[in-house]
Amino acid sequence: MLIPPAPRAVIFSLGLQLLSWLCLAPQVEAQVIVPGLAGDHALSEAQVGELLITELRCAACHEGISAIGATVPRAPRLDEASWRTSPEYLKAFILDPAGSHPGAKMPDVLARFDPEVREDAAAAIPAYLSVLAREQRAGPGSVFEREPVDAARVARGRTLFHAVGCIACHAPMEPAFDDGELPDTAAGAVGLGHVASKYSLASLSDFLFQPLRVRPAGRMPDMGLSRVEAEDIGSYLLAGVSMTEASDPVEVELAELGEALLQKLSCVSCHDLQGLSAPAPVTKGRNLDPNGGCLSADSKETPRYQLSDAQRAALRAALGTKAKEVSDAARIDQTLTAYNCIACHVRGEQGGVSLELAPYFGTSEPELGDAARIPPPLTLAGAKLNLEWMQRVLFDGEKVRPFMDTRMPQFGEVNLAHLPALFESVDHLDPLVPLGFDGDEERRAARDGARKLLGTTGLACVACHNFNGKETVGFKGIDLVTSHERLKFSWFKRFVVDPQEYRPGIVMPESWSGGIAAHTEILGGDTDKQISAIWDYLSLGRSARDPQGLSSVSQELVVGNRTRTYRGRSQIAGFRGIAVGYPGGLNYAFDANNGTLSGIWRGRFVSVRWDGQGAGGFNPSSRSIRLAQDLSFYKLKDLADPWPLKPFMDKENPINPDPQYPRNRGYRFRGYHLDQARTPTFMYSFGELHVTDKCEAFLEGERPVLRRLLSITASDPETIWFRALTGEVQALGPRAFKTDELEMRLERTDQHRLPVGETLLRFFGEEDPKQELLIQLNIPRGTSTWRIDYELLL
Amino acid sequence: MNCFFEGCGLALALSFCLVPANAEDLGDTWGTAKREREYYRIVQLAIPEGLVIEAGAFHRLPDNRMAIGTRRGDIYIVDGVDGVKPEPVFELFATGLDEIFGLEYKDGSFYVTQSCELTRITDTDGDGEADRFDTLSAEWGYENYHEYAFGSKFDERGNIHIALGLSQSYNSRALFRGWALTVTPEGKTVPMASGMRSPAGIGPNEHGALFYMESQGPWNSACSLKAVSPGSFHGHPVSLNWYEFAPELGPTPAQPKSGSRILIEKERVPELVPYAVIFPYIRMGRSISGFTVDRSGGRFGPFEDQMFLGDFSLSVVLRATTEKVNGVWQGACYPFREGLSTGILNIQFTPEGRLLTGGTNRGWPVRGIKPFALERLEWTGKMPFEIERLSITPTGFHVDFTKPVDVTTASDPGSYVLGTFTHIYHAGYGGPEVDQTKPVVESVTLSEDGLRATLVLDKLTLGHVHEFDLGAVRARDGEALLHRHAYYTLNAIPESR
Repeated sequence: MLIPPAPRAVIFSLGLQLLSWLCLAPQVEAQVIVPGLAGDHALSEAQVGELLITELRCAACHEGISAIGATVPRAPRLDEASWRTSPEYLKAFILDPAGSHPGAKMPDVLARFDPEVREDAAAAIPAYLSVLAREQRAGPGSVFEREPVDAARVARGRTLFHAVGCIACHAPMEPAFDDGELPDTAAGAVGLGHVASKYSLASLSDFLFQPLRVRPAGRMPDMGLSRVEAEDIGSYLLAGVSMTEASDPVEVELAELGEALLQKLSCVSCHDLQGLSAPAPVTKGRNLDPNGGCLSADSKETPRYQLSDAQRAALRAALGTKAKEVSDAARIDQTLTAYNCIACHVRGEQGGVSLELAPYFGTSEPELGDAARIPPPLTLAGAKLNLEWMQRVLFDGEKVRPFMDTRMPQFGEVNLAHLPALFESVDHLDPLVPLGFDGDEERRAARDGARKLLGTTGLACVACHNFNGKETVGFKGIDLVTSHERLKFSWFKRFVVDPQEYRPGIVMPESWSGGIAAHTEILGGDTDKQISAIWDYLSLGRSARDPQGLSSVSQELVVGNRTRTYRGRSQIAGFRGIAVGYPGGLNYAFDANNGTLSGIWRGRFVSVRWDGQGAGGFNPSSRSIRLAQDLSFYKLKDLADPWPLKPFMDKENPINPDPQYPRNRGYRFRGYHLDQARTPTFMYSFGELHVTDKCEAFLEGERPVLRRLLSITASDPETIWFRALTGEVQALGPRAFKTDELEMRLERTDQHRLPVGETLLRFFGEEDPKQELLIQLNIPRGTSTWRIDYELLL
Repeated sequence: MNCFFEGCGLALALSFCLVPANAEDLGDTWGTAKREREYYRIVQLAIPEGLVIEAGAFHRLPDNRMAIGTRRGDIYIVDGVDGVKPEPVFELFATGLDEIFGLEYKDGSFYVTQSCELTRITDTDGDGEADRFDTLSAEWGYENYHEYAFGSKFDERGNIHIALGLSQSYNSRALFRGWALTVTPEGKTVPMASGMRSPAGIGPNEHGALFYMESQGPWNSACSLKAVSPGSFHGHPVSLNWYEFAPELGPTPAQPKSGSRILIEKERVPELVPYAVIFPYIRMGRSISGFTVDRSGGRFGPFEDQMFLGDFSLSVVLRATTEKVNGVWQGACYPFREGLSTGILNIQFTPEGRLLTGGTNRGWPVRGIKPFALERLEWTGKMPFEIERLSITPTGFHVDFTKPVDVTTASDPGSYVLGTFTHIYHAGYGGPEVDQTKPVVESVTLSEDGLRATLVLDKLTLGHVHEFDLGAVRARDGEALLHRHAYYTLNAIPESR
């Protein structure tokens, strides 16, 4: 099917003109807007009336009016209203809620007053709220203040607004395509024309970041925006607003009047405000005049609601029926409509993304079809999902579709706590039980079979699904290992056999078409066995071996523009190994256990093992020159004294026979420090001698040179031996030596003038004798420095 | 493959040729997650894309930021873990280290336990990145697979204690594998205790005494908390070979006999320390790792001054209390919260009294399906009805509750279903629960406030785990216990006063 481009790719061109156009949109019949009621809901007229009773908070004054016993959704908290909203807007809104914010649920509470009194009353309430806010919040944030918005943020906010799901309840403000038309979806959507005059950037961003803090009822849900994203969308919604005026100081008498009004007008029946408590209910029960009171269009005695004729009719229909037990299924429908879940989700015959809005729903995996961009159906949700998983999705923000641009909002646990259990009680599939696999052999066969089926040589599930946190080389669909935690087997089995039945339009193929296994060679071609084996395999989580076809995660460490130092076990440097890589591509390894430079290589740095149980051991990524790993400094008793080699262990003698080597020969590693380029200087001691050991990388002509500076500090003159090279060593001169792989030169300069005594080139080892080059050092008191250049011949 | 950091030679060998048939089921959950969330919420701390944070150690810094040391050898400093809708900010402080399982901080420097050494790490030029790494101790052998090192915080004398896992988790082939060492503030490394198998956490209990967490395996039929003190021997004899390198500890302890019971062997091997708190296998975790003590001043609910422990395999957090009776430590463990997203390697309280958990799920079977995660457990403020603690009396137990109990159910001895068992103390891997008994509750006395039931039993069995099922007890408001089970390990019975 044709998949429209994702909004992320859309270039919005019409910009702010549309925003202002929306503000001037033609007047439609006054009504309260409940977005879900404008959608494809499943409610009868009386049920719509019931929903309105809840949404209009009728039970705040009329106790027992709700047939479904719904709790009253709390209206916005007023504590911080004067900081969050502009005083002008607040006054205008109280004076004329529907005029200031068409569709607002807030009734005209001043209908009973004469015009003059209305003006005063509308000014008094904000005055009181502002005094209150100042008492509660000292310092910045206690006063409403506008600030300019940033154009780059406006652009980001525009993209986010149209991508994350805002448009499900608020109409889009830009076309989905750059040459497209803006769909006419404003009817039934919550308008945003009032936003610019109501909020400051700070207050709007704060609200978008945590809407439930101010509006606990959850009708405006938390869209999972980061603070930065909230500011981006805030900037978008406030773009073009002019900076205005500071407001007048508040008169004390006016504030006192405001407090009295808040109480008298029963504002706190719906709103929470510190220090004021809700008055007693006006009436009890449902026996009310269906044409009078709040339901009359011109009541002077009650708050006046902006209801359409249809809404009044629905309310009358509801009140005309007897309160009776509401079925769980109906409660689900009510909830899905109240929170407008049906704007994005299908459930049975109701709901779903409208044709107009569908182009706005995007994905990073377009090849996976609508299932990757349109939120999943809720049909049979309770039979599909584990209760705990529903709770985690609804209340903890858990998600498994990172590729989907639209985000699952958070409506607040207190508001939807009932929903998972309702789904579970209403949605039924006859239970199916996976086959068990007994005994090691049967289990192994099942797991081998499942692994084959999942992999590219079987059903190639991993061609479109990630697995165990690893990406596939194909499309990055839902990680299969989440299945067991999320799904019920009864649904899973039916779904994989007949995906279209359970997710119409999904691109997932029928792998057991008509219940018949395609891969007859695996697990005897037995469908039950195959699906049960896959289910079992997915339950193993991390201990399940990856199926064939997953991309292996590269664990190559890359050296950037600074030197990189990395510790870990290594064949080339022992367990206390340290790899050092320079930006130019020269690298070496230092064995900190034995205090020796144990390897040099050029090219790529190291690869490390961080998968499975990998403890992060490293290996050079290029061919390396391996040097000796024994202690480097030692006091020979005489020229025949053998060099103390590191202990040798093998299968027959696995226990270290010299467990304190080389500390018992006087060596101790002391650590390292890094310079500005992050190049390490190693520090170690040998008896009373303190050594610092730093290498720099150079290019001499075409040949890379590792230049090593060793500084030795002694409190008393001392003679020790340095083991410079092993292998087939050839002397090129008194201070220059060579093996097949490198040339080593002891350089004497003005700064590097350590007195070097004898050099000794001798054989060591019995079975396979090799040469070792030992250099005598006559260390004077104080600090002396010498230089060794290692030139790579590879 | 039963315990954290376990059985891996075998697993590695297998992983190259076939699907491991020994990849095990993780057993049933407690089934309490849906109720637990009313009292303790799990809040995800989002990790920015591109960062891999397999937390192995946490530390709360003086400025109230949290430091995290990872298996991958990084140290991150994290701001904002306590936000209402948290958006933590991660700064990389140090990198390239070797599996961090111990993190402490003092006077501008971190004290970091890596597999290879204890290191003091400092940012000397104040640019926010570490530039000096001073090795304080590398006085142990590190030469084989599975040789992990877990470091404590400073004790009151400024020591850091380091628990060293065995070689390949079965052998002691390099110096002091299976030992605990103490690094003093003067920089001296002193051998302290032997006989450890696969420690996965070390630190003080709620009374300030040093404990470590042992994993199920040879000589340990279940995970357990054990008290560590100079000269103590923790039951796995393979590490007894290093006593010649620890002359200050005196002669090598006698070899315990395999197939015995731990309290019987303790008669022969006085240095042997019995398990203080046994965590019945699978029912109460199977690879328990880091632990910490609630000092949140009540902000984490009714369990102030109790121990909390993470479990790697089952992705749960457990709770424990200990008491010292006749000079021997013992105590109880309790289920606390299940449903975390990854294998928990360590836990730590945040400045605001929330419990930060983290880890990874790679390498061993883990229930949580995320490769790594940071999650925060927080009290919702609603009082759960829980067994607050079990404590021993000369004739039975005190059972303390978090809420007043209903008199009818709670004063009925039939509401307290008890059983006991012990384990064979042996060289085999893990082991069954044996020697079961059924104590009879002879009487129940409720305190006036309804918060304590005092049980008198017909018999207390030394060396046994006393298992409680209080499913029939109700709170005054009719509520059932959030977790009906608790497990007390009995090593000593106090004298009657």
